[in-house]
Amino acid sequence: MLPYTDSKPVGAADFYFAINATFRFILKRFGLEPLRRYWTELGSDYMAPVSASWKRHGLPGVAEYWRAFFKAEPGADVEVTCQDESVVLEIRQCPAIAHLRKCRREIVPSFCQHCYFLGEAMAAPAGLTVRVEGGNGRCRQTFFRRRAAIPEQDLARIRKAIC
Amino acid sequence: MLGVYDFCGHYEWTFEWLRRLGGEPLVCQFWDEAIHQDSQSHAAELILQKGIEGMKQYWGHTLQAEGAGYQAIATEQTFRIDMHACPSRGFLIRNQLHQYHDYCDHCMGWIGPLLKHGKFVVDHQHNHRGQCWWEIRHQSDPTPASAPGQLAGHRDVRLRADWNLSGKPTDTYERSNHPDDKSSKANGSKPGS
Repeated sequence: MLPYTDSKPVGAADFYFAINATFRFILKRFGLEPLRRYWTELGSDYMAPVSASWKRHGLPGVAEYWRAFFKAEPGADVEVTCQDESVVLEIRQCPAIAHLRKCRREIVPSFCQHCYFLGEAMAAPAGLTVRVEGGNGRCRQTFFRRRAAIPEQDLARIRKAIC
Repeated sequence: MLGVYDFCGHYEWTFEWLRRLGGEPLVCQFWDEAIHQDSQSHAAELILQKGIEGMKQYWGHTLQAEGAGYQAIATEQTFRIDMHACPSRGFLIRNQLHQYHDYCDHCMGWIGPLLKHGKFVVDHQHNHRGQCWWEIRHQSDPTPASAPGQLAGHRDVRLRADWNLSGKPTDTYERSNHPDDKSSKANGSKPGS
């Protein structure tokens, strides 16, 4: 269900350093709005094959994707539940925050916002939307079928990341 | 969430996103500032403190973690890597991902400035198909790049039958520290040969 295949079953954790550093580079040079635009464009362009798959397979496809995804992320502790109207990711240990913290890396404070902006850009073409609550190592991400009754994402509900 | 299982895919996508935003200079600044000085600060620490011994420690760990097919050789004066199956470029080829014009430049983009701080220079070639070699020496050492097989024996990547396959030029760097220093040679000619 993952769009890309690798020769090893789990990714190299030190690449989280580069993800964090990329966010910091864009934030320092250009500011928070361009960083959010980067996340959004990454979600709508690079992740387009994932959106197309979600459109074809609906919420069960969303759940299957995230199960496969977190299985390939080193140190993830995540429960994925598929319900009638939503898919819930209970992230008990975010692999990125855990590795950055273990290695005493300074984490970009807005790091956890990327899950919302990236996830929303992936979800929208499939007729879905995501809400993120928590952050800084533990959070809940809920993917819903897009409908009017769902309140907008409140970014204040996404915690700042700290080392 | 942005993951590491497909890191090389979105890393390469990011180069092109930055190029569109600020041209090639911004991409080079990204490799130097974000990758060399921030992400890979642990590599800089090891190599700047321990020289060739630090290179052995850093690349020994990282290439193992990434699942590379490679050989590394160290003498007192030279550190050499023969990359037979680059895990990073290999991921892009296998998954048919192509956004930026030369993904392989990112290595010289961050390693070159790092080594410059340590007063090292690099002889390097990559053939864009996941195969490359590196020889790193102190900048005061005038020794040219080795001839094929001279340092690495039969594991020298330049001795592979598929090293010089026609179609794509081989990029060559001589005593370099910057991604712009390369010359592209359609016949894949070999320094030191």
